Amino acid sequence: MTAYISLMIAIPLIGAILAFLTKTRQQARAVALVSSGISLLISIIMLSRFDSSLAGIQLDEIHSWIPSLGITLSFGVDGIGMPLVLLSCIVIPLTVIFAWGETKEPNKFYGLILLELVGVLGVFTSLDFFVFYIFWEIVLIPMYFLISIWGGPRKDYAAIKFFIYTHIASLVMLLAIFALYFNAWQITRTPDFNMFHLLKNYSLLDGWLITNVISIKDAIFIGLLFGFIVKMPAVPFHTWLPDAHVEAPTAGSVILAALLLKMGGYGLFRVILPLLPFSDSPGKMITLMAIIGVLSILYGTFLALAQRDLKKMVAYSSISHMGYVTLGAAALVPLSVSGAMFQQFSHGLITCVLFMSCGVIQHSAGTRIIGDLGGIAKYMPKLTFVMLAGFLASLGLPGMSGFIAELLVLLNSYANLPTFVILALFGIVFTAGYHLWAMQRAVFGTFNEKLGHIHDGANYEIASMAVLVLLIIFFGLYPNPVLNMMTTTATPLVRDAAGLVGVIV
Amino acid sequence: MSYVLLAPEILLTVLALAVILIGLLVSDKSKNILGYISAAGLAASLILTIAKTGEGSFFYNAIVVDPLSQIFKIIFLVVSLIAVIASIHYFKDNRNQDEYYTLILLATVGMMVVASANDLLALFVGFELASMSTYVLAGFEKKNPASLEAALKYFIIGSLSSALMLFGMSLVYGVSGSTNISEILTYFKTAQVSGLDILAMVFLVAGFGFKMALVPFHMWAPDTYEGSPTVVSSLLAAGSKKMGFVAAFRVLVLAMVAVRADIQIVFAILAVITMTYGNVVAISQKSIKRMLAYSSIAQAGYISLAFVVMTQMSIAGGVLLALGHAFMKGGAFIAVAVVGYMVLSDNKNTKNTDDISNFAGLGKRAPITALSLFVFFLALAGIPPSAGFIGKFVLFYSVTIQAVSTASTWLLVIVIIAILNSALSIYYYARVIRYMYVLPPVGEKIHEPLPYVIAMLLAVIGTIGIGLYPEPVINMAMNAASVLGV
Repeated sequence: MTAYISLMIAIPLIGAILAFLTKTRQQARAVALVSSGISLLISIIMLSRFDSSLAGIQLDEIHSWIPSLGITLSFGVDGIGMPLVLLSCIVIPLTVIFAWGETKEPNKFYGLILLELVGVLGVFTSLDFFVFYIFWEIVLIPMYFLISIWGGPRKDYAAIKFFIYTHIASLVMLLAIFALYFNAWQITRTPDFNMFHLLKNYSLLDGWLITNVISIKDAIFIGLLFGFIVKMPAVPFHTWLPDAHVEAPTAGSVILAALLLKMGGYGLFRVILPLLPFSDSPGKMITLMAIIGVLSILYGTFLALAQRDLKKMVAYSSISHMGYVTLGAAALVPLSVSGAMFQQFSHGLITCVLFMSCGVIQHSAGTRIIGDLGGIAKYMPKLTFVMLAGFLASLGLPGMSGFIAELLVLLNSYANLPTFVILALFGIVFTAGYHLWAMQRAVFGTFNEKLGHIHDGANYEIASMAVLVLLIIFFGLYPNPVLNMMTTTATPLVRDAAGLVGVIV
Repeated sequence: MSYVLLAPEILLTVLALAVILIGLLVSDKSKNILGYISAAGLAASLILTIAKTGEGSFFYNAIVVDPLSQIFKIIFLVVSLIAVIASIHYFKDNRNQDEYYTLILLATVGMMVVASANDLLALFVGFELASMSTYVLAGFEKKNPASLEAALKYFIIGSLSSALMLFGMSLVYGVSGSTNISEILTYFKTAQVSGLDILAMVFLVAGFGFKMALVPFHMWAPDTYEGSPTVVSSLLAAGSKKMGFVAAFRVLVLAMVAVRADIQIVFAILAVITMTYGNVVAISQKSIKRMLAYSSIAQAGYISLAFVVMTQMSIAGGVLLALGHAFMKGGAFIAVAVVGYMVLSDNKNTKNTDDISNFAGLGKRAPITALSLFVFFLALAGIPPSAGFIGKFVLFYSVTIQAVSTASTWLLVIVIIAILNSALSIYYYARVIRYMYVLPPVGEKIHEPLPYVIAMLLAVIGTIGIGLYPEPVINMAMNAASVLGV
């Protein structure tokens, strides 16, 4: 048994407490950088120990916690969790570097960022459904404060909307988790919250509680699905996201888009796909997910096209990109599923660059309204360079990670969901459109004199963005380090569902 | 028969008498020392209670020492200890301190007697000792009209409930021919259910219901908790209220085996109404003490779920939630006392010191208090890892298990109502948290008095400690529940 994961989670937790106690900005940010850096180091060691040719859980550890309720602290990673652990450990230190100049209550600011790292790492590694839920909820609280203390003018509204929306979704999910738990209890008569144990027993569920409207199995399935897609977020449950992003500070937006949204996608792979073949109406559920996926892609794209605020545009582009994850998962082809997982990883890196660009522009020019900007490339050459790279990656330029992910999803989903893929393809044109159009209006062209004197981003800001761009290109050219393990895990995941292809509408 | 098992009670009784005696001998100025003496005595008594192993029964089986009595004694001692430590500052330089500490110690002894009572008479005497002392404590700020109103209301309603209880007891005695709970149980196991049994039950449920502040017997609680000195509110809400529960556990669970089904329905309705009413009304409160009062009503509603299914696990869940509530609610009232101190040091003539507006920016003005209150609120809302969560979880878990095993839809509906209530309660706690951390402060940072800080930290350690390492406490509660043999 190894202890990498508990160490990786414990260190930022200790770091967060230390950061809260620090008196000066210098101490707080140093604590944040060091502790998140150690987590990054541990995640790299984990990656080197991880065997990509094995599909099961690796590097697992179990600690006893509440035996009488069957709750254990059990952690482990497989091809679903490992890339996201790596992503979290890359994004948080870079966010800390990007936000190196934070002056408002820095001790709390960096402490909350570290708490976010604790939360997402816990979600991506917990194998106990109960502990999973605790971490799932832990993530909410620091984000609420990040928005409501460091946010923009309408921060109160945005923070509470974010909290209520995602909390209600979590509660619905909790009810479904309890239903799974008590189902397993009824079968085995022992309390056990182990995730795989609960998922396995779902197929044996014979509903003693039958309603006329919906079978209990489908109700549990939809409850879990609801919890995850609100977090992703998918249309029509996306309305909290633009508000939260517009009001959140840049670091908050980065964490929200790069890590918190990925929790929803993680849930799809970890929980929804294993349950899908055993629900009472799998065909309908697949259709439902495919519709949600395509709707998110198209609706997100068109909304992004219509935005005047650069950051809001990026927020809607996230919704659109996360639509590929749902679509790829619903297609149930090994490569479409691993493509969807890779889309999560890739979007996590790309969206950071986009939100950081918005933050730098806001800080320098004092506005993010696309129409009020213009020609800032002249005064912000460094920013323009990394921002352009980020935008090109986001629209799916070959050679960058986004291209591989979306190509895998679209190519492989076609086998099972041809109609939906053709619909999704329309989105690609407009995706390229809004990215280039926004760049053209905001960054290039003639300089808008009303902006006055503007300066380029600070070195630490540009540096963290540059690192992300390099990673995007690296994984675009050589995705195997993470893609292999995703494919290995995805293959057995969809094996049970192979017989379902015929029933898809 | 070894009376060593009763050492905690004996110690506190002697100490209470000693405190009033010392109060007569020393000057007004040196009366501050009485608080430290009382706190030390309570701590010693708590240690004795925890360390002591063994069971026994005393005085012709009227007083028993068993796991159930022990865990409730721990609850009462913890709450009194927290309240007394905080009182060291709250009643500093008050010349009636000797009476105050004597009363609080006697109230604790009364509660402990209730926890141990195995005879209806001992039970009643314990109730009265605790109630009489707390009537006076509630009105201890005798120049404050709100405090007097609180005391008077508490006294009248308390007397009424005692009368109801006593009448119920006398009916039980009349039917069964004994005041000893074990003998009453033997009688009820064999006897036919008569109309008189049901009547006795109604009076007992009403009597205990007043003490537990279940809706519709709750109306004294908000006014009393709001008007009493805040440290006394802490004792009332977190401690003396639990007397009703331990008495109900012993009397109702044991003796009413005969009329089991009816009692379950009664408590199901009471529990659902109580938790829903408490949570809904708490939302609109401006006074934090009132909000906490309604939240304790809601918590009493959750605890009453234990009576609905009456399994070993559900009673353990009720005991756990009662224990958690002692830490959370006790601590929360102390935090409100700190805010009161803070507001009064800004402006001596402030009327409503616990108004929510005074909590604005508390995170900056009194960081330790704000953080403690943050912990208590999240725990009260049932967010893990906290004592509040463990209690709620075991309780809801036991009811669901019962629902699943007996395929009973109405039990499941009750659990879902309870979970929704729990979700609803987050709203009003989060509102205060928003005031504390998001809104700008309205005054300078204050120096938080040490006694308050110690009291709150004790409560925080209890709240989080049970949440992080619940296994021993769960086992303790399961043992306590096994005493009832359900």
